[in-house]
Amino acid sequence: MADYRALWEILGMDLEKHDVLCAVLPELYGDVYLSQQNRPEGMNYYNFVISEVHGLRIQELENHKEEGGKVVGTFCVFVPDELILAAGAIGVGLCGGSQFWIEDGEKVLPRNICPLVKAFVGAKVSGTCPYFQSCDMLVGETTCDGKKKAWEILDEYVPTYVMDLPQMKRDKDYLKWAEEIEDLKAKLEALTGNQITEEKLAAAIKLCNRKRAALKRLYDARKALNVPISGKDALLISQIAFYDNPERFIEMTNKLCDELEERIEMSKGTAAQKAPRLLITGTPMAIPNWKLHHIIEESGATVVCEETCTGTRYFENPVDESQTDMAGMIKAMADRYLHINCACFTPNDGRVEDIIRYAREYGADGVVYYNLQFCHTYNIEYKAVEKALKEAGIPVLFIETDYSNDDTGQLKTRIEAFLEMLK
Amino acid sequence: MEEQDYYVIFPNVNEGLKLEKQLKEKKIKYTIVPTPREISKCCGICIKYLFEDEGAVKQAAAEHGIQVSGFHALHKRKK
Ligand code: SF4
Ligand code: SF4
Repeated sequence: MADYRALWEILGMDLEKHDVLCAVLPELYGDVYLSQQNRPEGMNYYNFVISEVHGLRIQELENHKEEGGKVVGTFCVFVPDELILAAGAIGVGLCGGSQFWIEDGEKVLPRNICPLVKAFVGAKVSGTCPYFQSCDMLVGETTCDGKKKAWEILDEYVPTYVMDLPQMKRDKDYLKWAEEIEDLKAKLEALTGNQITEEKLAAAIKLCNRKRAALKRLYDARKALNVPISGKDALLISQIAFYDNPERFIEMTNKLCDELEERIEMSKGTAAQKAPRLLITGTPMAIPNWKLHHIIEESGATVVCEETCTGTRYFENPVDESQTDMAGMIKAMADRYLHINCACFTPNDGRVEDIIRYAREYGADGVVYYNLQFCHTYNIEYKAVEKALKEAGIPVLFIETDYSNDDTGQLKTRIEAFLEMLK
Repeated sequence: MEEQDYYVIFPNVNEGLKLEKQLKEKKIKYTIVPTPREISKCCGICIKYLFEDEGAVKQAAAEHGIQVSGFHALHKRKK
């Protein structure tokens, strides 16, 4: 319970308003997370990270900045972390997962856009997110329209660099994405004053691959018959991966996986053996958006996998490590990243294939399609996913929602009916 | 009688992590949790322990010169 107010003051935060945000976290976290039975001991590390989410990690960013380092904020899994790390900067995934920021977001944005966009803009304009306040530069991308236009607003507050992400996957798009990565490299070098050498980039690629491998190991454990970890705990770990110190995160996640693998051997699960297993697919869930997982798991089912950006899209497919020269490494990164299947692309058949493959790999009894309100690309893509799942004989439920708790009761009823049907 | 939860809070995160290490070594059950607002308005970690371990937790802190800012009991929140 250290006093971090002095630190927040340096960051120019609205202390009073920020306190309102801080006030809800212990209770929310207690209700959603600490009430779980049978939690793995290793979850203590993530309890620690969450408890210090606006404390220790922010102090670490500040210490890094005092030594002349830079902090770079990102919003999408297409932006390569490797370059940020290779430039000696720290990357933070800026979450906009709280209803708290919606009101401030709506002051500068139309109301009928995705809550994720409203929340991250609200977090910045209200000066209540210490991660945003710590950033020397933001890196946006041209994915959906909401985000694309939000960069113009954010740029008024903090320098915002935008990567032009292709929306198709032809050969020329791969070439173009490699060029965009090249440009980001130059931008980061200018920001930090550090040259991104081949050695540094190779080391950063290895580090990010190790992080991906740790997450993959976690997800593999969820394929077990007796799932050794709840879906919301796994989601929390994915969310934390976006801003924690990478080395510490890898070490602690691998330790947790040791425990999970022991549990699997002893057939020690977190839920009842017969609990229905669900795969969630769709839009990202940023901290503290635990809403859907919480409702599902309170209803007696287990979430075994997320085909989302706070799930498989973040860690699947490592960057090829065999490249040693700059051009080769940049191409390897472009290939890995452009392989991600996001609904912003057309066509996006790869995602449908991923969902069906994961449903089988993770032994899912059904799929919940999670759509943040006003996210058009994912919403439209539902039709194709639904059709393919039907053909494969996998039941699916479509949920469109935002961050508020207004529809919790209604969602609970719909999910319970879906689970009933899976029996 | 209403059930209670037991917490120990610290002047800074490092002291908390030091105590965690000791509890782990001594195999005393604990959970790291965000400091409840009823105890303190400053966010950060605190450690929740079982009532029967209170003596052992206090002893672990004393033995290793770990600074704590207090021990607290709170009524279990009704869900
Ligand atoms: S859903 Fe698409 S645009 Fe959004 S973070 Fe994921 S990859 Fe980026
Ligand atoms: S969820 Fe959809 S609308 Fe929201 S930021 Fe992501 S792609 Fe854009």
